[in-house]
Amino acid sequence: MFKKYLPILLSLVVVIAIGFVIVQKKSTQKNLKVVDEPFNIGSFTKQKPCIRHPQFLSRLNVTQPITIDLSQQQFKGLAFLYGKNFSKVIHPRAWETFEHFSTYALDKEGNVFLAPMPFISIHPTTFNLQKNIYKLDSLTGKISIFMHFDEVLPSASNPYGIISLVYDCDDETLWVSAIDKSNYREQKGTIYHIDIKHKRVLQRVENIDALTLTLLKTKTDKFLLFGSARKNLLYAFKIKKQKIFKNLKIKLLELPSANERIRKIKIKKANHLELQTIPFSYTLIAETSNKNERQEYSVEWDNQLFQFKFLNK
Amino acid sequence: MTKEIKISIGILFFGVLSLVFYWFYDGSIEPIKEDTFIEERIILAQYGSETYRNVPAVQAYLSELRSIIKRGKAVIPLGDNELNSDTRVVQNILLADEKFLKTTKKKSQLIHHDVMNIHAVLVSSLNSGLKEICREKQCYQAEMYNFVDNSTVRAIVNLEDKKVLQVEVFPNMQADISLRLRHIAQEIALNAPEIKKELKRRPRREEMSMANVRGALQGSPCENSEHLCVAPTFSDYEKEQALWAIIDLTELKLSAGKWAGLGKTTTPACISERSLQNRYIMKNFCEKDSYLERNGWKFAYRLTGSDGLEVIDASFKGESVLKSAKIVDWHVAYAGKGSVDSAEDVQLAGRHVEFVKGEKEKFFFGYNDAMGCPMFSTSVVLPFNAPLVKDLYDEKKNRVGFYLTQDYRNPKWPMACNYRYENRFEFFDDGSFRVVGVNKGRGCGEEAIYRPVMRIDMALGEKEEFYKYSGSWNKWLSEQSDFQREAKFYEQDKYLYKILNQSLDRGYYIEPNRGQFYDNSRGDNATLFVSKYKEQEGSKDLLTLGSCCNLEKDGVEQYMNENESIDGENLVIWYVPRIKNDAREGQEYCWADTVIGLDGNIKVQEFPCSVGPKFVPIKF
Repeated sequence: MFKKYLPILLSLVVVIAIGFVIVQKKSTQKNLKVVDEPFNIGSFTKQKPCIRHPQFLSRLNVTQPITIDLSQQQFKGLAFLYGKNFSKVIHPRAWETFEHFSTYALDKEGNVFLAPMPFISIHPTTFNLQKNIYKLDSLTGKISIFMHFDEVLPSASNPYGIISLVYDCDDETLWVSAIDKSNYREQKGTIYHIDIKHKRVLQRVENIDALTLTLLKTKTDKFLLFGSARKNLLYAFKIKKQKIFKNLKIKLLELPSANERIRKIKIKKANHLELQTIPFSYTLIAETSNKNERQEYSVEWDNQLFQFKFLNK
Repeated sequence: MTKEIKISIGILFFGVLSLVFYWFYDGSIEPIKEDTFIEERIILAQYGSETYRNVPAVQAYLSELRSIIKRGKAVIPLGDNELNSDTRVVQNILLADEKFLKTTKKKSQLIHHDVMNIHAVLVSSLNSGLKEICREKQCYQAEMYNFVDNSTVRAIVNLEDKKVLQVEVFPNMQADISLRLRHIAQEIALNAPEIKKELKRRPRREEMSMANVRGALQGSPCENSEHLCVAPTFSDYEKEQALWAIIDLTELKLSAGKWAGLGKTTTPACISERSLQNRYIMKNFCEKDSYLERNGWKFAYRLTGSDGLEVIDASFKGESVLKSAKIVDWHVAYAGKGSVDSAEDVQLAGRHVEFVKGEKEKFFFGYNDAMGCPMFSTSVVLPFNAPLVKDLYDEKKNRVGFYLTQDYRNPKWPMACNYRYENRFEFFDDGSFRVVGVNKGRGCGEEAIYRPVMRIDMALGEKEEFYKYSGSWNKWLSEQSDFQREAKFYEQDKYLYKILNQSLDRGYYIEPNRGQFYDNSRGDNATLFVSKYKEQEGSKDLLTLGSCCNLEKDGVEQYMNENESIDGENLVIWYVPRIKNDAREGQEYCWADTVIGLDGNIKVQEFPCSVGPKFVPIKF
């Protein structure tokens, strides 16, 4: 009797087992877990960067120190400052074609990848310009659109699009964030992992508004750090074998003022980060024209308590 | 194949098929909720400083300040109850020390300061030289707050030798407040009508805590970060929530209130009045329409992303009047002399400046100011406080209607290159209404020309007709514009235009402002445009329209087509006044200034200019 129904039972067991695995896997994919408790990211040191400055600069006899100015205060778009007190400038008018930039990332060859930024006045082209990643060619010094994202949709109710990027020396890729489509109720931004060579998206993390991105290698793991555009928080995603653990968002630090947003993250030295903050409300109001509104924090990783502590709160 | 085998194959087939379908079915993935803005309930202040002038603690404080200023001094010292024998001596030493008192006088003007605290010196306040001295001697430190500059003066005093060792000024820093100011803050909170209303009773001092008073030398939680603010709280432990009252000690008033959870996670690290306002405004006026019914008028209103306050679907005594009225832009232009490189890209006070060549070695430069929601918008001038409804009076102080108004400001107004605008809609009891743009300066200079672009879509029916008066009424047949400022004839010496429905039994006269509205206006000097309604022409949020500085064009020209008939069409009126500011003493117009008042505190002087046409119903 049992033998007769064995095939039916077996098939039911197989279907239920596969179903259980699939439901589990899908639910972990859907539910992003936020780690709010102390999380040991491990101690870290400042690593030697793999990047270099654009090669055309040496043809122009530009020597170190060189800085890239995206402040938009004196120069629209991009400018290289160099020489004593950075008093010399390279800023061809052609570099203003794509209006204003917010962040840059250099690569191994000296190409500069640039993220756009809407700046105070809106022109008919402004929204379209926010849909691109730009590239300043290391050899020619020409700026062009490197990659266009149709799905990035800035609008009058959120004029921002692509906003930040960072170069990954491990596999020569870019991590890029966009904060378009987000509104007062929901965050709908995306972090993209981009294959530079083939100009294609390798991975994406959705529903995240990252105002800034930085890669951090610790003794144990690699992390993508990001400052939230909506809250005064620094988060991290773990990256293993270049795959991002997108379902595990680790909260690393909360700024003292609820109005601040992290705009820049620098790894200063072993276990030390420098965070630059601004007020940010997804509008074009020039909050940072008031220097009092900009803050800088030094934070140190505490390997005992598994948290960052402020050195200059 | 047995029946059981067939059934098991069926189970496998359909089971796997369903699982494949389940795997690829996307469903609706919920956006992450934990990062959305926390929704605490926010209470905006409805009353100004005057409300608290009769609170005894405030009265005594202001009276002492006036008396001190009268005596040619500017510092309110700590009272006896905050001093012991040592700190009393320290205070006396400091109040006679020129270096400590240096910031209390600017030219001949006295600047209000309060001594906030005097206590034994903290090692962290000392450099190595002073550490040596203070190891041997008894040292004290004192902090004094400058209410005008928002700075703190800190002094280190060697009590034994009666010597001031060091005086430092910390700009934009605020010290721990004195017990007296703490008491005043509590009194203001206890007497605030908004707090009473929220708690549904008069609050008691014992339920109040001041745990979140200023930390030493930290930033301010005020709307204006240059004001000294503290936040006493009223806790309701049963409901696990607390009412935070943000008190502005610079202006001696309640700035805002907020209900928040008691838990550590919901207690804000720093409450900012501005962020509270932003959230309140977003939730109540940007994300949804509000409705108002009063004196026969009925309409909805909302704050737009870049077109200011918009009134929609207005009716009077049941008859439709307006589909929409709003000020879509303020063009701000300044005249300059000399040549200009039009490709030049310049920012002034953090804003993009446009340059346009003019005639005879002249050029114009300026901005387009979009007014919009405080978050998620293209706005550069932000709404302060929510829209307000107030009674409207005529020149004889008779109530004649009401008005709806929204204040927009750059946060740093009235500093140079910062602006303040008011969008106002006046509704009269006789069915008239007026769209008003108010400019309160201050701008970047004295040669400013302001042009608010008003868009008025009447609702007299799907088919409307437009007329201009030039001795007799002439109907406009196609899209066109007119310079009101050049008009010589007005019907009844008031009306220059009129709009009627096609059956000619309903309509409104348009009465341009020529200074007859008793608001010290110098007139509209406007350009008027009439276009056929097209959805893409401003029915939704318009981004900045046209050039700030090309005075030959107002931006609306792009919607004008002389071949487009407007006879019997749904019409839109665009009205663009032109105002020149004036900074001459006694003649100020569209201007604002800050002065040090007789009490040693900053006073803002406003010289508003108001423009906009009145729409008067035609009696048939």
